[in-house]
Amino acid sequence: MALAASLCLYLYWYIGVSAGLTSVIQKYNLDPSQFFEINTWVVILVLSILVGIILVGVFVIFVYNQKTWQLYRLQRNFINNFTHELKTPVTSLKLYLDTFAKYDIPREEQIRYIGYMIQDVERLLNNINRILNLARIESGNYWKEFVEVDLVDAVRQFYQNNADLFRNCEVKVHNSAGTPLYYPINPLLFDMLLMNIMTNAVNYNESANPRVDIHFVPQKKGLHIRFVDNGIGIEKSEIRKIFRMFYRVGHQEDIASGSGLGLYLVQQIARIHKGKVTAESAGKGKGSVFALTLPQRVQVEG
Amino acid sequence: MTGPISKKKILIIEDDRHIAEGLKLNLSLKGYEVMIAPDGPDGLREWREWKPNLIVLDIMLPRIDGLSVLRSIRLEDAQLPILILSVKSEPEYRVKGLSYGVDDYLSKPFNLEEFLLRVERLLTRAAWNDGEHPPAAGLTGHGYTFGGNTIDFDTFTAHCKAGRVTLTEQEVKLLKLFIANRGKPLSRSELLEIGWGYTGTTSTRTVDNFVMRLRRYFEDNPHEPVFFRSLRSVGYMFDHESH
Repeated sequence: MALAASLCLYLYWYIGVSAGLTSVIQKYNLDPSQFFEINTWVVILVLSILVGIILVGVFVIFVYNQKTWQLYRLQRNFINNFTHELKTPVTSLKLYLDTFAKYDIPREEQIRYIGYMIQDVERLLNNINRILNLARIESGNYWKEFVEVDLVDAVRQFYQNNADLFRNCEVKVHNSAGTPLYYPINPLLFDMLLMNIMTNAVNYNESANPRVDIHFVPQKKGLHIRFVDNGIGIEKSEIRKIFRMFYRVGHQEDIASGSGLGLYLVQQIARIHKGKVTAESAGKGKGSVFALTLPQRVQVEG
Repeated sequence: MTGPISKKKILIIEDDRHIAEGLKLNLSLKGYEVMIAPDGPDGLREWREWKPNLIVLDIMLPRIDGLSVLRSIRLEDAQLPILILSVKSEPEYRVKGLSYGVDDYLSKPFNLEEFLLRVERLLTRAAWNDGEHPPAAGLTGHGYTFGGNTIDFDTFTAHCKAGRVTLTEQEVKLLKLFIANRGKPLSRSELLEIGWGYTGTTSTRTVDNFVMRLRRYFEDNPHEPVFFRSLRSVGYMFDHESH
């Protein structure tokens, strides 16, 4: 755009200047060389300004191009991963339906396979909800209701409600304050945040005894909730990138499948609560820490 | 055709339990004996111990991915029918799988009837081959010669710079892997995954030690290797001039 505009301007000015010049020379019938002196300087000045504009334009185009490429790559990544997440349950469903259509299977066995199919439908539904939630959070007018909740209790509740997800994983809650910590949160969003952080801790864990320690650390400026795991850890260079939308740590397909949305959602949810999430890790294989920082708490007595 | 006296054995390497069990159900109903392995290392172990007649392989697997499993198997057995079943349907993945020696590639979701027929066909073809050919050797055949060295993969011996050497099974595997990837760099983790079937925690020093040993056997000067070259921050590459 900028390039095209400057080109047009360039031509327009050039034609204007040279036309004006010749007409002036013809009118007064003067010595052309005198005028050329002055006009040359005008032309040089105008040209250098235009070249400057062109350069800036090229630079802007270059930067945008880079950005577009980056987005395109991330999106491709996302599509690849999400394809797997969506196609796997569909494959299973189709396989069982085909089987039922082909064979007469005894009732008891049927019930077991129907159970699988129901789970697959739930998996699909979860995936669909994740995309829809993302769209809603992105659009900005997500649930506005906030409820005053004891966070320690909320985390314990969450753990109990999803105990089967953490069957092989030891989860401990440590509250250094010893008292309930009341914060205004949106329960549904907060659950989603916990779910993403905790499933990451469990999935990206190759240790024989996976464990997650959740520390509540009240501070002057607010509250830290630290999720400390003994999982595969994060490379230093990846720590900032993992919160990007669609970003996945390279070559991790073989460890766990994911959409590249989880931590992005976590960060967005933290922002809705006026807080932020940061990651720390001593390096690959050395576990990782996800710290949720919430602003100054509102004390509710009772 | 009369039914087979002993049931044909099919190994399913698939991490999704639902799909694996659905496949097992169908293949069992067809009269095959079926076993499920949920990840790469497990699959490799079952392949070695249980000796299946056919393998159904997923690509996205925990610990060692399907393509590495495929390459690892092909080092030792070039004939075993392997069918890949993957959500990746793009031609680039099909081509990759086929270039590593897979016999058939179906993308998920698949048609059950088609899957069963393809499996049957693969097994029939394998049965024809059985009597006619000597026992399956890897991609590299029975012997290999490079730069004045001769390796006999049947007797595990090499006539080389270091004289006549008896090779261990692991050395042979590593050699086959290098030869199959002649002129292409192999990373240490690739060597570990495909050559040993290990993953993650095992030290890559193991690889370095083995390569040192191969150099002592085959190089004129083990300290200035010509065939087994180190590539900085990549791994190793095997290459030699053509005969």
